[in-house]
Amino acid sequence: MTSILTLTNVIPTALFGAAGRTGIDFNLEPGELALVNARDLGLVGALGDLCCGLKAIDTGTVRFLDQDWTTQPRDRADALRGHIGRVLAHPAWLDFLSAAENILLGRLYHTRRATETLRTEAAELARHFGMPGLPTGQISDLSPDDLTRAGLVRAFLGAPRLVILESPVQGAFSAIVPALLNRLAMLRDSGGAALWVTRSRLVWDNRTLPASHRWRLDHTGLTRIG
Amino acid sequence: MSRAGTEESALPTHAAWRWFRLGLAWLGRSTRRRLHFALTLASLSGGVILEAFRWHGWRRPVRSEFWRSLRIALAGGLIATTFVAGLIGIGMVFQALYWLRIAGQEDIAGTILVTVLLREVTPLLIGVILLGRSGTVILSELGHLRISGQSRAVRAQGLDPFLLLVMPRGIAGAFAAYTLGVVFLLVALLIGFATASLLGGLSGSLWAFLDRFLRATAPIDFIIFPVKMLMIGLTVTTTTALTALSAHESDSSGRLIARGFMRGMLVIMVVSGLLSLAA
Repeated sequence: MTSILTLTNVIPTALFGAAGRTGIDFNLEPGELALVNARDLGLVGALGDLCCGLKAIDTGTVRFLDQDWTTQPRDRADALRGHIGRVLAHPAWLDFLSAAENILLGRLYHTRRATETLRTEAAELARHFGMPGLPTGQISDLSPDDLTRAGLVRAFLGAPRLVILESPVQGAFSAIVPALLNRLAMLRDSGGAALWVTRSRLVWDNRTLPASHRWRLDHTGLTRIG
Repeated sequence: MSRAGTEESALPTHAAWRWFRLGLAWLGRSTRRRLHFALTLASLSGGVILEAFRWHGWRRPVRSEFWRSLRIALAGGLIATTFVAGLIGIGMVFQALYWLRIAGQEDIAGTILVTVLLREVTPLLIGVILLGRSGTVILSELGHLRISGQSRAVRAQGLDPFLLLVMPRGIAGAFAAYTLGVVFLLVALLIGFATASLLGGLSGSLWAFLDRFLRATAPIDFIIFPVKMLMIGLTVTTTTALTALSAHESDSSGRLIARGFMRGMLVIMVVSGLLSLAA
């Protein structure tokens, strides 16, 4: 079976600096969930970029669905990124688009599925994550909790093969985690995988989270914990 | 002794040479930096034209951005265009008709209006209106996107920033400039004719006046005018988009808008001048 994400002897000095001279070896198979603890928000986003082929590496390979990012033409790499749902750690919304347009943007760009079908699916996901439906206003009208929920709707919309969650539940742990775990279980059952990078002690210390691997990310590299 | 003397006399020459090289380096650096922008702009504009003919580039979000940008450019610029065209109609068309009649040179009114209004004034003023109404919106939207790091979200979702943000704005700018240019020309001619008719500066019907204008228009003008309007609209939008997307995190929006406006003005002058020379 095709691995979802494979990092082989990756040394990204741009990510870890001179300290990170040890190559990263990391593999994510279909149905797996990797939990990564990182304190630095910059590292959280940088790991996501690395997995999506957006970060330069000195040695090694990063492969998504057995495709090496460095050998892909730009449009093919963009199409591959369309199979990744991502909750970004940094500002992730385009101010000149409405909240609904922001959520649907990636699916409308990468697929030819009918807009109404996508809107219906997004509304269902929005309700799953605790919103009354697909938000209709501007991004600036949403509360921080609703922005978190909207980010999750966008990440899970359209059956992605990999979901990368970069500190996804800041400030709304109890309200969101049950719904998120439910969605992660559905993703894993359907052959997808997830990489959850967290800064929260609450998430990291929660041993009930069904993680396949646990890793710690700091400026010396990525270390396997369990 | 003689060696020390040689070293002393060589010192000022060495310093002068060093200053000369530094000056040359500064000049080269500045020239290269300015050329870099011009070359990038040329390739970006060329890329917009090429990509616009590739059907698979027009995905749904790209089409939405195109219609939104066209709406902003046309709706935002229509009132300003009509107002400025009215002023030009009174200040230029009427004045030309009035003074040429007094001078007994009514026959060359059409030629003068074509030379000044069609070839030079309309493209320049529409370029400025488009820069003010649409270019500043692009600078503000894309500049904020770049400075706040939102552009990362675009790349992270596998969206091509060129296709999504630059190409639809460039094409919308080109169409808007052409449309506003035609509106400007018609309003200026109609207001000029109406004013001249009311104040006794013109005899004859509107159709005769328009016929004189059309007869004075050379075949090349039917090519140069649309090309000029389309190119000005395209380059104004790509200039502002490029300025916004190459902004640094330390740039304030005010500084960015000022820089984009100056570059836009320069581009309007250069494109208009080059196409006038080509005609």
